[in-house]
Amino acid sequence: MDNSKEITRVLFENFQPQAIHLFYAIGYLAIAVFIYGVYVQIRKYRRGKPDGSWNELFHRFVDMVKTMATHRTLVRRDKSAGRAHGLIFLGFVLLFIGTSTITLEYDILEPLFGVKFWYGNFYLLFSLVLDLAGLGLIAGLIYMMYRRKWLHLPKLDYKRVDRQEGDIDFDRSEYRREDWAFLWSFILIGITGFILEATRLVWLNDRPEVWDYRMWSPVGALLAQIMQTLGMASESAGAFRPYLWWFHGLLSLTFIACIPYTKIKHIFTAATSLMFKDQLAGRRLPKVPDDQKTAGYKTITDLTWKNLLHLDACTKCGRCQEACPANAVGAPLSPRDVILSLREFANHALSAKELPKEAELDIHGKDVGQVFMETLWSCRTCLACVEICPVAVEHVPIIVQMRRNLVEAGEMEPLLEKTLQTIHKTGNSFGESKRKRAAWAKELPFEIKDARKEPVDVLWFVGDYASFDPRNQKVTQSFAKLMHHAGVNFGLLFEAELNAGNDVRRVGEEGLYELLASSNIGTLQACDFASIVTTDPHSFNTIRNEYPDFGGKFEIEHYTTLVKRLIETGQVKLKKKLDYRVTFHDPCHLGRYNKGYDAPREVIKLLGCELVEMARNRDNSFCCGAGGGRIWIPDPVGIEKPSANRMKEAGQIEGLQVFVVSCPKDLTMFEDALKTSGFEGQFVVRELIELIDECIEYEVWEDTAVTA
Amino acid sequence: MKILVAVKQVAALDEDFEIRANEKDVDEDFLLYDLNEWDDFSLEEAMKIKESGTTEVEVVVVSVGPDRVDESLRKCLAKGADRAIRVWDDSIEGSDAIAIGRILAAVAKKEAPDMIFAGVQSSDQAYASTGISTAAYLNWPHAAVVADLQYQAGNKSAVVRRELEGGLLQEVEINCPAVLTIQLGINKPRYASLRGIKQAAAKPIEEVTLSDIGLSGADVGAGNSMSHVRRMYIPAKGRAEMIEGTIAEQAAKLIQIMNEFKGV
Repeated sequence: MDNSKEITRVLFENFQPQAIHLFYAIGYLAIAVFIYGVYVQIRKYRRGKPDGSWNELFHRFVDMVKTMATHRTLVRRDKSAGRAHGLIFLGFVLLFIGTSTITLEYDILEPLFGVKFWYGNFYLLFSLVLDLAGLGLIAGLIYMMYRRKWLHLPKLDYKRVDRQEGDIDFDRSEYRREDWAFLWSFILIGITGFILEATRLVWLNDRPEVWDYRMWSPVGALLAQIMQTLGMASESAGAFRPYLWWFHGLLSLTFIACIPYTKIKHIFTAATSLMFKDQLAGRRLPKVPDDQKTAGYKTITDLTWKNLLHLDACTKCGRCQEACPANAVGAPLSPRDVILSLREFANHALSAKELPKEAELDIHGKDVGQVFMETLWSCRTCLACVEICPVAVEHVPIIVQMRRNLVEAGEMEPLLEKTLQTIHKTGNSFGESKRKRAAWAKELPFEIKDARKEPVDVLWFVGDYASFDPRNQKVTQSFAKLMHHAGVNFGLLFEAELNAGNDVRRVGEEGLYELLASSNIGTLQACDFASIVTTDPHSFNTIRNEYPDFGGKFEIEHYTTLVKRLIETGQVKLKKKLDYRVTFHDPCHLGRYNKGYDAPREVIKLLGCELVEMARNRDNSFCCGAGGGRIWIPDPVGIEKPSANRMKEAGQIEGLQVFVVSCPKDLTMFEDALKTSGFEGQFVVRELIELIDECIEYEVWEDTAVTA
Repeated sequence: MKILVAVKQVAALDEDFEIRANEKDVDEDFLLYDLNEWDDFSLEEAMKIKESGTTEVEVVVVSVGPDRVDESLRKCLAKGADRAIRVWDDSIEGSDAIAIGRILAAVAKKEAPDMIFAGVQSSDQAYASTGISTAAYLNWPHAAVVADLQYQAGNKSAVVRRELEGGLLQEVEINCPAVLTIQLGINKPRYASLRGIKQAAAKPIEEVTLSDIGLSGADVGAGNSMSHVRRMYIPAKGRAEMIEGTIAEQAAKLIQIMNEFKGV
């Protein structure tokens, strides 16, 4: 290496002053266009409602940088695409820093302070790093082109499930054209950059401070070698260079100017979206402010600025669509399409100087950019889309907000309407008398404490399905026996317990949710207990994540963690081991919602079962189809149910004996699906509690049961 | 233009209910209250008229009953009724459908509506005569069991289709003002969201006493009714049994049962 000042790169050599001025003028113009575009975007976001996500800004920033640096969210479930993006990202960042470094010296430090540093060793290292960055960029882009052209990935097909062939927004071909324009312009910038470098080397091959150090820009040097071999002389290189220089320069400046107007804006929107990520998105739905007259989203301006930003962050990667259970069975829903529709709507309605009339802002309906009612009601609120989105788009809260508006307008299935009225009237979705809530306990050979009357350690919040569904009542009785056997001091709320409201809230009936939640919170607060346990992941989620917003802060756990502890501490003694070959289905509200992946698996192993995972497990678990109130809405005939789709997946496991679930709704859904999908007789569906029950010998109770 | 909709808060039976000590009614502890199902339809019919025409229409709901009835009236307000009136006085307790009709007619005289809608019947008492007796006290025309209504705000008459036995419909032209009792299924009642019901709490419910409408305790109550409940009871259940087994076993069982009845 050599630290002499001669070793650097020529800038504007042999350029007429007019040409340099022209270049700067175009440069400033590009920046002006860029800034105006950014202004229009920010004006658009500011037309949304406020959002309180400004807390812990530094922490959020650090998290965002970490996520971007590691590409953690991008490599998930698509390693190659994630890595290729990583190369493009890294290449772009380094090249951007490189260009900025030159500007820093040439336009700022040197003219103002006479400081120069871009020479010698630093320059050589700079040269090498940027060459590698450019190489990475091009390699990444080539893979992306290959992927789009030859891999035929369904998730990259923009044809919509909620529109018909012939509708103008059916196949979204303009997005495809934009994708290709982006890839080509980007790769051309990279390629011309290298050719430009090689041309400069050939042109200046008689200057030792250039030619002798050419290996510090290896790609350029290799290309220069090829050019010379092909017979390019110094003069012709010198004559060719300005054309190429202008082409490369103008393309790059156009690229910059285009950022806020095209998909390139995801550089900023995705990063900001990640920064404002809500860790509890979907798990804790937003409250309706007390002073707000209508609930939910009716117009595009009802969305918060954060929602509007999320719409722009979407890069159409299709991972949400791939994970969506409604989409998998052919329902007219793709989370991506909901986001893109609203984005198109927002761009159309909110980018102009003046806001259009209120009536033109309605996001519900059948027009371009509007979202169909059928689409919104197809959602199971399983959070698969929110979980996998690499740029932290929060689809489910937007869908539920839109449903709240549908509920206000009464635009829902008659059966769902009936169920909501039933829940209002009786406090449970079965329409049973409140008095019957604990009827299952009557058959037990022991009394369960009434937590309203005496202090208990553990308050058991049973939930509707576990209380009223005859099949689930058996499981509920087994869990009661288990707790009694383990000597846990527990009690129930009996008829004072109401539906916890988790699914009512996800349907969008916020008023009813508020009623249920505040009633349950009042009841719970009047009791003396240390913590709550439930076998119902839905109740678990809303009590854990949503009741605090209504003043109810309680310790709560799902039974799987409690049972695991009881077994480990020896309070529950397993008298025998099971040798079943089993698989485990993660309930959405236990797994994805609350990250309770491990406890049920550990219990299964403690029982001695051989656990074989299905392909879609843990955070990619496939919803049974009952979530978001869909258990109260009949599935359309003729299309596959998500639960049947799941059964087929389980059926592929050789020698499977038991399909284990840990959620009352799952038990109902999958026992039904087992029969209809033709696997009856091959394996069985069991609640984990039932397997535990097999391992405990309740000798004492059997005696009492007989004498009772 | 004004439509008066007479509604009732009805009682539904909880499971395993008990009869009151006086054997006149079900023990109040086992009753769940809600708006009468028919009234959802009559209110919706009034709302449809309000929302379809250009004429300004005021929809007023009226009910006779104690404080608890406010909850049902609020549901009507949430669905879009403009005002609610609740008539109550302790002396009203025990009134039959005819006496209630007298009260509703008195309210109607004060409100002077262009139309009165009521449900065909209430799901708890099922007299099916409150609407008709209201018409009688007002000396207005009436049509019962209306399954279809063609009427626009301000019209001098309405064409109604009445549901008769055996799938028959009778088309009747009726002069207004009139009392119509509305049948289930005439429309699709809207959903009152809980937020809507909560917000309706801000709309006032006018509490009216007997003297406000020119009546007194001598016009209402069990003593001034034309019918009285003597007893409410659960009839003894008949016996039915499915006989299973082979033909021979079934025959043997049958003979055994017959012999038991004969007392052999």
